[in-house]
Amino acid sequence: MKRSRLAGDLHALLFTLPALVPLTLFWFIPMGYVAYLSLTEWDFMSPDKRFVGLENYVGLFADPAFYQSLRVSLLFCLGSVFPVIVIGLTLALLFNRKRRGGAFYRLLMFSPWVTPTVAVSIVWSWIYEPEVGLANTVLRAIGLDGIRWLEDPNWALVGVLIVTVWKSAGWCMIFYLVAIRNIPSDLLEAAELDGAGKLQTLRNVTLPLISPTTFFLVIVQVIQSLQAYDQINVLTQGGPAGSTRTLLYLYYQSAFDAFRIGEASSVAITLMFGCVLLSLVSFFVGRRTVHYS
Amino acid sequence: MRTGIRFGSVIRHLLLAAAAVAMAFPFYWMATSALKTNDEIWRFPPTLWPETALWSNFADAWHAAPFARYLFNSVFVAGTIAVVQILNSGMMAYALTHMKFRLKGAFTALILACYMVPATAVYLPGYVILGKMGLLDSYAGLILSNSVSVFSIFLIRQAFLQVSHELVEAGKIDGASHLRILWTILVPLTRSSFAVLALITFIEQYNNYFWPMLITKNPDLQLVSAGLRSFFVEGGAYGLKWPLIMAASAFTIAPLLALFVLTQKTIISSVNLTAGASKG
Repeated sequence: MKRSRLAGDLHALLFTLPALVPLTLFWFIPMGYVAYLSLTEWDFMSPDKRFVGLENYVGLFADPAFYQSLRVSLLFCLGSVFPVIVIGLTLALLFNRKRRGGAFYRLLMFSPWVTPTVAVSIVWSWIYEPEVGLANTVLRAIGLDGIRWLEDPNWALVGVLIVTVWKSAGWCMIFYLVAIRNIPSDLLEAAELDGAGKLQTLRNVTLPLISPTTFFLVIVQVIQSLQAYDQINVLTQGGPAGSTRTLLYLYYQSAFDAFRIGEASSVAITLMFGCVLLSLVSFFVGRRTVHYS
Repeated sequence: MRTGIRFGSVIRHLLLAAAAVAMAFPFYWMATSALKTNDEIWRFPPTLWPETALWSNFADAWHAAPFARYLFNSVFVAGTIAVVQILNSGMMAYALTHMKFRLKGAFTALILACYMVPATAVYLPGYVILGKMGLLDSYAGLILSNSVSVFSIFLIRQAFLQVSHELVEAGKIDGASHLRILWTILVPLTRSSFAVLALITFIEQYNNYFWPMLITKNPDLQLVSAGLRSFFVEGGAYGLKWPLIMAASAFTIAPLLALFVLTQKTIISSVNLTAGASKG
């Protein structure tokens, strides 16, 4: 009996190895390693790492650049997650529940999500061109002044956010379409019989029933927004004046531009904690407020 | 009443059409800008359709940088990673759902925990480790470092959980090996999940930029996003040759749009599976 149990363990090990080896090499070991690096001072080149304890963290929490990028990260998170969810939901509600149609609309709206962020960000940087770009042409056509989208510290983040929202809104819409189709039609009919108006039905029946989808989308979008890199790299490289430098971008710059590995690692650990904390908080909040049928 | 309904549905269609146009317009703008002459593209107000369509822009852009090589790299690396992930996610998911072993619960929790950690946070140590293994600037490094995905494992695990245990038990009683049960019972039943996994992984890896850019400095190994970006910064002299840059963006995006149009049913059905996998 004991022997067959051991055989079972070995068999299972064999099946998990093809995923376990890369998982260990590129997830588990790096997680421990980055924690260790955050306690050292190192520049990539020199053979020795100097152990400095918590010095990197002390320095980080005293650095105004850290608080600036923390602020940018939070703004980026709020400024992308809310519009994506609201636009995605509105579009999904516009589709007719029963009639199938609209496949063509669906195709068009989903396409931004499939395409490479770098390529579409390059297209957008042409749209944002201040003199003859499409964005300013539209603004001037409706009587407003043009904006130096990517060079003005007040507008650069907005520019990056528009691209981010454009890219994900259609993706969210598809999730909501599925959730709305799955609402049992007798519930909606019952609401109608009780004389509930469209808005009332939306608020009291539809929204609670699709809350698990909202919950899922919010978590995914929050984590994605904290990790946004490609569009920032193409459009603004964190500038102007640090106005689009998120925590992740700060981490990237101090590691691969300034070679301050210890400092960069302490930013990475902070970011990691932030993500885990947000995931756990939304998990527990979700458990209390989300309606699972 | 009836005209009210009709009026509502007209408004609905108009709004949807407006949103669809807004979503698709950047692609249209890219395509038409790619066909303009350098003179026309700087004219104000911009023209909606080029006066003379300059198709040679595409050929010029194609030859201005090794795009054939970049595209090959992306397709090759993304395709290989998709195959590897099908294999290792399938085997891992099988172990997690239909095998008995000690510490299974803890093991599953450990893998689930990786779901919460932002991948980008481990890029720096990952880079150092890849360097120590001597795999920087190599196809092996590009493929190996992306060869596992927690999302893929959970996607397949979710599909396998739906397969009844009796079928698997029956296979065991017949004396079939684990590998045989996986290959002849589970995989055929969950084919659609594997199709979604393959497509999503391919798209993600084809589009991948940050990590591949970090670990490859050799231009011959660059994936198409990194190649396009260096063309944008260097070859395009930061926006002085916009028509060529737009042409290059167009043929970077085109293969994916084509793939999407052909497989849209599978990709959109991934939504059901993704939402399901997240609950597990």
